[in-house]
Amino acid sequence: MLRNYLKMALKVLARRKFFTFISLFGISITLLVLLVATAMLDQIFAPQAPETRGNRTLGIYQVTLRGKDTTFNGFAGYGLLDRIARGLPEELPAVEKISFFTAPATAVSYVGGQKIESSLKRTDGAYWQILDFSFVEGGPFSKEDEANARFVAVINESTRGRFFGNAPAVGRTLEADGQRFRVVGVVRDVPVLRVVAYSEIWVPNSTAKSRTYRKDYLGNFMAVFLARSRADFPQIKAAVDRRFDLAEEHIPDRKTFQTVDGGADTLFEAASRVIFEGGRESRPELLWALFIGLAVLFMILPSVNLVNINLSRILDRASEIGVRKAFGASSRTLVGQFVVENVVLTLLGGAIGLVLAAAVLAGLNASGLIPYADLRLNFRVFFEGLALALFFGLFSGVYPAWKMSRLHPVQALRGRTV
Amino acid sequence: MIHLEQVTKKYRTERVETTALDNINLTVDKGELIAVMGPSGCGKSTLLNLMGLLDEPTGGKIALDGKAVDRYGDRDLARVRNERLGFVFQQFHLVADLSVVDNVEIPLLYRKMSNKERRRAALAALDRVGLASRVHHFPGQLSGGQQQRVAIARAIVGNPSVLLADEPTGNLDSQMGDEIMGILQDLNNEGTTIVMVTHDPRLAERTHRVVRLFDGRQVQ
Amino acid sequence: MMRHLLKLVWNRKRANALIMLEIFFTFLVVFGVGTLGMYLWDNWRRPLGFDWHDVWAVRVNMQGASDDTFTPEQVVTAARLVREVAALDPVEGVAGAMMEPFSFGAMRGSQEINGRRVTMDLNEVTEGFAGVLRAEVVRGRWFQPADAALSWRPAVIDEDLAREAWGGEDPVGKRLDKPDPGSSEPETRVIGVVRDFRHHGELSGPGNFLFYYKHLGDPKHRPPRSLLVRVRPGTPAAFEEELTRRMQGVARDWSFEVQPLEQTRETAFRRTLTPLIVGGIVAFFLLLMVALGLLGVLWQNLLQRTREIGLRRALGASHGEVRRQIVMEQLLITTLGVLLGAIVVVQLPVLDVFGSTLRPEVFTSGLILAMVSMYLLATVCALYPSAMASRVPPAEALRYE
Repeated sequence: MLRNYLKMALKVLARRKFFTFISLFGISITLLVLLVATAMLDQIFAPQAPETRGNRTLGIYQVTLRGKDTTFNGFAGYGLLDRIARGLPEELPAVEKISFFTAPATAVSYVGGQKIESSLKRTDGAYWQILDFSFVEGGPFSKEDEANARFVAVINESTRGRFFGNAPAVGRTLEADGQRFRVVGVVRDVPVLRVVAYSEIWVPNSTAKSRTYRKDYLGNFMAVFLARSRADFPQIKAAVDRRFDLAEEHIPDRKTFQTVDGGADTLFEAASRVIFEGGRESRPELLWALFIGLAVLFMILPSVNLVNINLSRILDRASEIGVRKAFGASSRTLVGQFVVENVVLTLLGGAIGLVLAAAVLAGLNASGLIPYADLRLNFRVFFEGLALALFFGLFSGVYPAWKMSRLHPVQALRGRTV
Repeated sequence: MIHLEQVTKKYRTERVETTALDNINLTVDKGELIAVMGPSGCGKSTLLNLMGLLDEPTGGKIALDGKAVDRYGDRDLARVRNERLGFVFQQFHLVADLSVVDNVEIPLLYRKMSNKERRRAALAALDRVGLASRVHHFPGQLSGGQQQRVAIARAIVGNPSVLLADEPTGNLDSQMGDEIMGILQDLNNEGTTIVMVTHDPRLAERTHRVVRLFDGRQVQ
Repeated sequence: MMRHLLKLVWNRKRANALIMLEIFFTFLVVFGVGTLGMYLWDNWRRPLGFDWHDVWAVRVNMQGASDDTFTPEQVVTAARLVREVAALDPVEGVAGAMMEPFSFGAMRGSQEINGRRVTMDLNEVTEGFAGVLRAEVVRGRWFQPADAALSWRPAVIDEDLAREAWGGEDPVGKRLDKPDPGSSEPETRVIGVVRDFRHHGELSGPGNFLFYYKHLGDPKHRPPRSLLVRVRPGTPAAFEEELTRRMQGVARDWSFEVQPLEQTRETAFRRTLTPLIVGGIVAFFLLLMVALGLLGVLWQNLLQRTREIGLRRALGASHGEVRRQIVMEQLLITTLGVLLGAIVVVQLPVLDVFGSTLRPEVFTSGLILAMVSMYLLATVCALYPSAMASRVPPAEALRYE
């Protein structure tokens, strides 16, 4: 029975090439947009190498200092983060590791008379233990390296290529922003969208040009905490919040600022904190609401499209339905027929969308529009999108078909008189 | 009036070529009332379509009033179709979303007239075919015979010199068919040349001449 | 003809309603993406209000000093530092500032002026700032050393702030904050207006800026955290070493980080650009999706009318007349959808959803862009299929199934 439906469906779809094409097109492009958008979001938020432990990582990414009429929003200084983190692992064994690192800054180097700009990040030793980089040469620098202010550096493959051709780089010297470093490790390129992991050159914190950075309340540092498990998050967040309150007593410029706000956030929560400014607290629900709102808006269009197309498809075949009914087809058979057609269409459209998305993502990765992008397909989203498409396809197609099939054959045959 | 010389029409699909009309030579004089007859599939509708400039012949020449219309460009063809020809289709082809009077007005839309003049002409044409009481109805609300009459009104609203009718009484009962035939004869008496495709011999009797087709060729 | 078309469109309202709905949603998407694009482009092309070329930023870290506690010695040293740097040959000017342009992090303030709450970005700068960064004073004057002796606090605002707080009035001399009889704080008065100052760079949105005066050598003012040094064009990077050496000579335990503003700008740029590119890519495919979806629906809709088109041709319509009719009908339906969309969209400025971020020019051009695009899209989607449909000989078209 099903095979008959299937054969019929394929024949019908082949006959009505234009409608088939349009429906396939609509479904595949919708899924394409969905998959591309999700791939981007995944690359920003989802745990992917080197942030393989992203699932159990919290971070302090931004802080806000508030005064009577003044607000400061920006990166925290080492001093503030140090105050927050001091004693935290002892208080909460759930905090396995803590790392302080800077936001990437542009560093200038001159190689053979040519000026090269690279992203440079300063980190401590724990950074390399929380993140999971892929080393193609050598290894990371350690806590001892950092404590002793050794001028060592880890670079990514592309930087190695730019500075040393493709020869092994470990042991060689690299100059950036006037400082000279010895390369100790080379890692695979990291996508620029990964806030915590991204850079092209990594060097120890202690090589900073400023000698007072360890006391600064404001600077360009961020902190991440590796928790034992997600279940420990609420505990850690609460502890960090408490410490932020305590930190207020030590704000250097108390005349201008009286409160300091921040918290241990997941990347998503941090984004909501930044977007829905105020920075006072993270409002992930708002960000979710925004995304879902946009997604719904985005989904309305192809749905209306599908409904339009399906409606005309049905009307067009009014006479065919009438004839079939006249020859004894039951409503159920007719509806079943359309269901199979819609399912076939949706699955085909989905497959095309998937292929298109794979191609587009590969193209994006290669184009360099987003440096070092490594966008990947998210199959969970694909299946969810497909399910949604199926739902809309069925809803928009079956309902009119069912109504039409309940008409007397004569009425259906009449159809429209043109 | 209408002159067909060695006219051929072939249809080609992917695999098969069908000859619908083969070497037709035919002249229709002004004021004639002609019936085209033949079994189904013999090409009579195709012949009518060619005469009505709805299709192009594959070979041969067609002349209307001495002018070789098969060479005409789109603009000229449109003008001829609009001003000199009136076509009544077998399937009526009324626009379902327009009222009867709006349907009849359509040919006049492509002429420079005021809205009032158009309305007047349309109502007059509908009156002629006896549908004055149904002007604001929609085709879906009319019987087959009434729809046919609307189609005829639409065909005559522009005062064409030639009226081409494809099975004008095909969907009607005998009484209705007689009435329609009567209208056509009246029109012919007033000077309209009429070419009619029919399979009804009784109607054919009331015409001046019968052209018979078989398998795309003229027979006698 | 118009009456006929209106009747047609009206009689087919049910079928047309769905198309109209699709046009409505498509319009919303096009408007959203278009206005965002216009917003970014508008930001990009507005002048920065300052010139960063050949300006180097020096981050000054006074050992041991935090924001609150600084010593009179440090104040003196800072003043000496600036004098010495200014005396160097390639240096054309030196200024001190709390924050350098393009730096991440923002200092914001809010004041109640004339009964409304106005927010602005803040910076504390020395009298050399306007010269070094080439910020143009359009009204009143910039800071000068004599201002240190004033009993009230001088401030320089930018045009955006002047416009928002005082409209067309001359703000020079006006009071910035609300009078608070109980407070011992001096009042703040505007002494001058500069062109719109866009501290955060070309990609930042509209905003207000306010400068306070930092007097070098005044023990009440914290020494600047950043020095902005304008060097002669063509000064080689090697001068950085010399500069650092000289500064180190003046303040032995302090540390300095020199970075040309060009680099700071680059960092800021990369930071902001990446999410924009991501958004841009998604937006591109989104637009593609809606445009092609609409095309599909309209095309298919037209195909269904092949018979009607054939009929009209049979009755004497030329290609051109048929095309015109189809396009006109399409434009009628589009107008309905666009109108509905415009009504919805106009609520944004009416309800002040985006406040001053959405300038009226940006909104209007976004709206017009969306409308024009929709009409263009609709026309193209109607033209091509109708041209195709009308090429079929009427007899064939009438047989279309």
